[in-house]
Order: sequence, then C-alpha cells, then structure tokens
Amino acid sequence: MLEAYSQTLTHWLLVGAAVILLMLITYALLQALKARRATAVGYALVLPWVLGFVIWQVYPVLYSLYLAFTSYDVLTPPKWVGLANFKTMFLDDPRFWPSVRLTLLYSFLSVPLGMIGALGTATLLAQDVKAVGFWRTLYYVPSILPAAATALLWRFMFAGSGLLNSILSPFLKLFNIAPPSWFADEKLVLPSFLIMSFWGVFGSNTIILLASLKNVPKELSEAAQVDGASPWTRFIRITVPMISPSLFYVMIMGIISAMQNFTAPLFITTPGGAGTFLNVYIYQQGFTQFKMGYGAALGWFLMVLILLLTAVVWKFSAAYVYYEGEVRKEG
Amino acid sequence: MNGSIRLMSALLLVLSLGLTACSGKSEPAKTNEPVTTPAPKEKVKIRLATWAGADEAKELQGVIDKINAKSTSFEIVSEPAPADYYTKLQTMIAGNTAPDLMWLGAEYVAPYAGKGALLSISDRLAKDTRSAAKLDDYFQPVLQSAQLEGKTYGLPWIAQPVIVYYNKALFKAANLPEPTDDWTWDQFRDMAKKLTNKSKGVYGTTFNGWPPVHMFVWQAGGEVISPDLKSSPIDSPEALKALEFYGNIIYNDEVAAPRNVVNEQGFGEMFKAGKIAMFFGGASDDLDRVPNLEVGHVRVPKGPKDRTTFAWTASTAINAKTKHPQEAYDALVDLTDGIQHWKVLAPRKSLATKAELIKAEPRKEKAADVIVKAAEDMRAFRIVPKHQEWDTIFWEQLQDPLYSGKGKAADLAKAARAKLEAVLK
Repeated sequence: MLEAYSQTLTHWLLVGAAVILLMLITYALLQALKARRATAVGYALVLPWVLGFVIWQVYPVLYSLYLAFTSYDVLTPPKWVGLANFKTMFLDDPRFWPSVRLTLLYSFLSVPLGMIGALGTATLLAQDVKAVGFWRTLYYVPSILPAAATALLWRFMFAGSGLLNSILSPFLKLFNIAPPSWFADEKLVLPSFLIMSFWGVFGSNTIILLASLKNVPKELSEAAQVDGASPWTRFIRITVPMISPSLFYVMIMGIISAMQNFTAPLFITTPGGAGTFLNVYIYQQGFTQFKMGYGAALGWFLMVLILLLTAVVWKFSAAYVYYEGEVRKEG
Repeated sequence: MNGSIRLMSALLLVLSLGLTACSGKSEPAKTNEPVTTPAPKEKVKIRLATWAGADEAKELQGVIDKINAKSTSFEIVSEPAPADYYTKLQTMIAGNTAPDLMWLGAEYVAPYAGKGALLSISDRLAKDTRSAAKLDDYFQPVLQSAQLEGKTYGLPWIAQPVIVYYNKALFKAANLPEPTDDWTWDQFRDMAKKLTNKSKGVYGTTFNGWPPVHMFVWQAGGEVISPDLKSSPIDSPEALKALEFYGNIIYNDEVAAPRNVVNEQGFGEMFKAGKIAMFFGGASDDLDRVPNLEVGHVRVPKGPKDRTTFAWTASTAINAKTKHPQEAYDALVDLTDGIQHWKVLAPRKSLATKAELIKAEPRKEKAADVIVKAAEDMRAFRIVPKHQEWDTIFWEQLQDPLYSGKGKAADLAKAARAKLEAVLK
C-alpha cells in the first residue's frame, strides 16, 4: 500500500519543504530590508495562504479574462478572437438575453421575498417560547441538506401528481383548474423556482437576523410602548432600523447567491423556451459545447453584472441602513 | 539568524535529494562483467478511461485481466469515471494528463478527432491480421462513427440497434394481435391508439426525443446530414414526412404518454411499471428483465422506404499524445476484441450471430432473433466535428418547438436548415 502512494507522499513532502523554504527566504529577505521582526514573521506566516490564493484564485481569474477573448475548445490551444465572443453574446446568441432575463427576474423577486420570510421566521424564533432551541435547530436543518438532493426532492414535489398538487387539489377542483405542470410548463418555471427559493429562507439568513433581533435594546421598544406606539410601529420604526445592517448584509449576499443559482436548475429539466439560468448556461457552453472561451466571456459578464447590482445597492444603502453611533446630518 | 540559515540549508538539501530521487532512472555504469541474458522488458502501463459504473467496471476488469495475462508488452490499467466523464476527460486532455485509451460515445469521436486529440490508427490497422482489426468484418454504418475524412480513429466495441419491446399483457387485454416484423408506421400508430387507456394511465407508446427522429427520417428515405457532411436536408419531403409522423405521436395523449406524465413517472420506468404498451429500446436494455412483466420483441415498424434502425455505438480511441503508441494500439485491438465478446451487440458481422449473442448475454435469448435481424439494418448518426453545436441547433430550433407544438414541421425545418448548414461549413 505504501509503495502505491510513496510517490504522491514524496511530492507532498517536497511541496511542503519548498513552501517552508520560501517562508524562510521571505523572513530573511524582510530582515535584510530592515523590517521589524514581527512584520517579517507575519508575512512569512501568511505566505502559504498568499501562494494558494495567487495560484488557485488570482491566476485562474486572470486566465479566464484572457480566455474570454479567445476561441477555446479545451482540446486545442486558445485562438485570439478579440471581441467576437462579446459580439456573439450581445447580438447573435438567441439564448443569452432570455437567460439574463430569467436570472435577473429570479434575483429581483426571490431576494426581497426571501428576506421578508427570513425576517418573519427570525421574529417568531426570537419569541420566548418553550423549547425554542429545538425549533431553531429544526428550522436550520434545511440549510445543511445537500443542494442536489434538495433539487431532486423539489422535482418530486412539483411533479404533476406530486405533493404540491395533492395539497392544492381541493382548491383546483373547486375552481375546475387543471393541475399545473410546474417545471414542465414554460410559464410556471420562474414561479416554481421562486417557491423553491423559500427553502433558503430557513438557514443562515434567519440565524443572522435572529442574532440581530436579539441585540436590539429592549429599552427603546419599552420607551416607545410607553409613548403609545403600536407593535407594528415599534417593529417598523425601531426594530427594522436597528437590524438594518444585517438586512443589508442578507440582501447583498442574497443577490450574489441568486444571480449565481446553479445546482437546482442543473438537476431540474425545464422547457427550453423558459430560458436557462446564466450560471448553468456558462457551464453548458464551456463543458458540453466545447466553447470555453465563450463560457469565460459569459462568466465575466455575470461577474460585472453582479458587481454593478451590488454597487447600486451599496450606493443607496445610506438611505436605509442605520449604524448605531452614526451621526446623520440634519436634512 | 544562524538558525534560519542552517534550516534553509537543510531544506535545500532535502529538496535537491528529493528532486534527484524523483527524476528518471540513471543509466547503469558500464562494467567488464560478462553479458548475461537480459531481464524481460517491463510491461508498459496503458491507462484506459471509461464511464463504467461499479458493476460494469468489475466485469470489464475481468476482461482486462485476461488480456493482461496474455500480453508481454503492455498492462492495461482501468480508470473508471462514471460521473462527469466527458468533463473529466476534456480537462485531462487540456492538462496533458489524459490516459492512453479512452471510451468515446459515437457523438465524440469525430469532434475529438477533428481537434487532433486522437491518434489515427489507419496505417496500423492495414497491417494487422488480428480479427478485431479486420475492418471488413465491421458493420460499415457503425464503423463510420469511428472514422473521419477517410481515417480510422477508434474501434467500435458495441452497437445497440433499436428494437421495440412490447407488453404482452396489454395486447391481450386490448384483444390485439402482437406486432410482427413486417408492421408499418400506420399499423404502429393504430395499435398505439387502441392500446391507450387514459383512465388507467396506460399509453400505447412513449416518445421524448427518444427514439431519435433521425431513424424515422432514414426510414422515409431522407437524411439529417448528407453523406458528404456538407448539408442537412431536413426540409426534404421525406424528412418532413418523418417529422410530421413523429410530431403527431410525441406527447399526444391519444397514443403516447404526455410530457408531464413522462416527467413525473419516468420514461423507461413507465414501461417497466406496465404503463406503456410499446417501447423503443436498445438491444441490451433490461426492459425485458422485469419480474412479472411478460415482454415481447419485434423489429421497429417499417417506414415508407425501409426499416433502418438507429444503433448507438461507442469506440475505444487512442490519445494523440500517448507516449506508447504501439503498445496503446496493441492494447486497443485486444481490448476491443475482449469487449466485443462481452457486450451485446458486437458491431462485427462474424460476432453478430444468435449463438455469439446468447453466449455473451444468455438473458437475451428470447430477443436474439430480433436483435440479429435488426443489426442488418442498423446505422449510427453521421457525426461532424462541430457535432455539439449542430445538435444544439437541431434540438432547440427544430425538435423542441415541434414537440411543444410551437410550429409546423415545414416552417421549423426550413428555418433550422440554414443554421445547421452554417455549422457544417
């Protein structure tokens, strides 16, 4: 057994020795440049992480930027084509704009709805009820299930005679409506994925908002109550502003995650006319169509789009995010 | 500081020793010792990539072990990758770590060969007298799937002609005679209609893009890609006849399972559950091994011209950058012969007999006659180097809208043809 793995083990040990050597060289170099000892030690110790970051993050990202301007089928070397991929993307690809539309619509709808759901759940879990620890654990469980298994489960639930249609059947029969085909109906693909996205309500978003709710000083609410404020007013005027930084964080992360939706759409076949989520489309172009260059261009477009959306949300955050201790100028 | 220098020196020493150890073996020093009999040449390791799952990989290993025991020049090492096989293979080719031999479905040989990823074996085959290397013995329409521009890039090891599996009990219940080999498209459709009972959730047949519409186009006398690979005459009268026939069956609940039912109950699963009367399946499918399901076998119905049937095929090919081309080639031929004696159906005329079929797969005895007859009329897709792009257009611009009722066959075919032929240029 050792014989079979001895070469691999040797390589690992050599890599380890090389990294340690580089750390020592870094330390010695900084010392020679009269840097403080603590600084030299610090840089030497972060060097392994920096190496990993540069090799496996920075280099692939920069290489993908280069590939975005090439025609690359993976099997032969990349060929420079300039802006041809972007021209195809914006002007000639009939699947591109429907994919952008589906991805953006999904993000614009699922994120606010998810935030409202997460906030509602967190508010309920913040109450002093019996066995609240059990309920908090139970509501967190969905987030630790594997995404692929979850997608298959939802596929079953949305089947023609699946769980969802069974629950809705009395209502459907009453109004003589045929059971919806959900994922098989072009018009219902987006609503189906939106319903599925509520699964993400439970999990880390709820926990983050719950922690935030617990940190809202009770005195503020009590003072408002004394002044005659209703529960709804206290919630809107006190609780929400106080947890607004967490809501802002949940929104940013929600947008990034929704725009990158991949696992569920990959496992659930939908009619072609409904469009494809952008991340899935990138995968299809790069790995099944031998168009890695075009896939890279699509990937960069998605990244820029997410950056733009995040920047817009960030720019206007001052209007709705309140940081404790912040001093606002009078209008 | 001194401690650091000592440590650095020690590490440099370790590294240099390690690099020396990892380098190639050095030549032995020449001596004046008398010449002795040279040690037997070490067998070259030939890596083989397959998509075999656990059970199939175990059976394949049995085939490989016999070959390795006989060979003096190579040893085949199997590397199964049942998940994301082609993604892994492409990544390995891009990273120059691809294996020497690889299984490729028919749709991948021409694209890979067109991009220079495969080694041509035409010259070696011409001088080889082993039975698996005799190209005349192969069914030519299947062998073509491993060829491009007159050169051979692989050897097919399986051909799966499509036949029709039918549920005998459903035919009895509907008081219908069982189909016979001389049945036609119209008789098939008529039977499917009579066998459909929506209230019981039973349908005459089921299509979902499978069986491939190409088969019906061929049966009507048309072509999806011309023999010279330069045109896609899918708007010819013959092709349109086939497209209309197919379009009138797929998801039409008068004769076939509707789309939502197929999505929810599964395609082949519906036949196994006794909900489908007639199912187009490959020769080695396990549709006739379901307990309590009495299944009959018949050739595909005859079209206006003939009863050509589609055969999926796969080949083993050699990585163009293999470091051991001769050993890889020898392993390829021996391996292909071994697999052809294991799988059903072997794509060679000498092995596509009832006796050989039953020897390879005794469970297919009842279907053997039908499969052997179907093999005489089988053909594989014509694959072009840009197959994936062509196929995407063929599905998205023609098949998907046709099957979803979003256009007429004539209009869709005419529009799609221009785009398809742009890819063929």
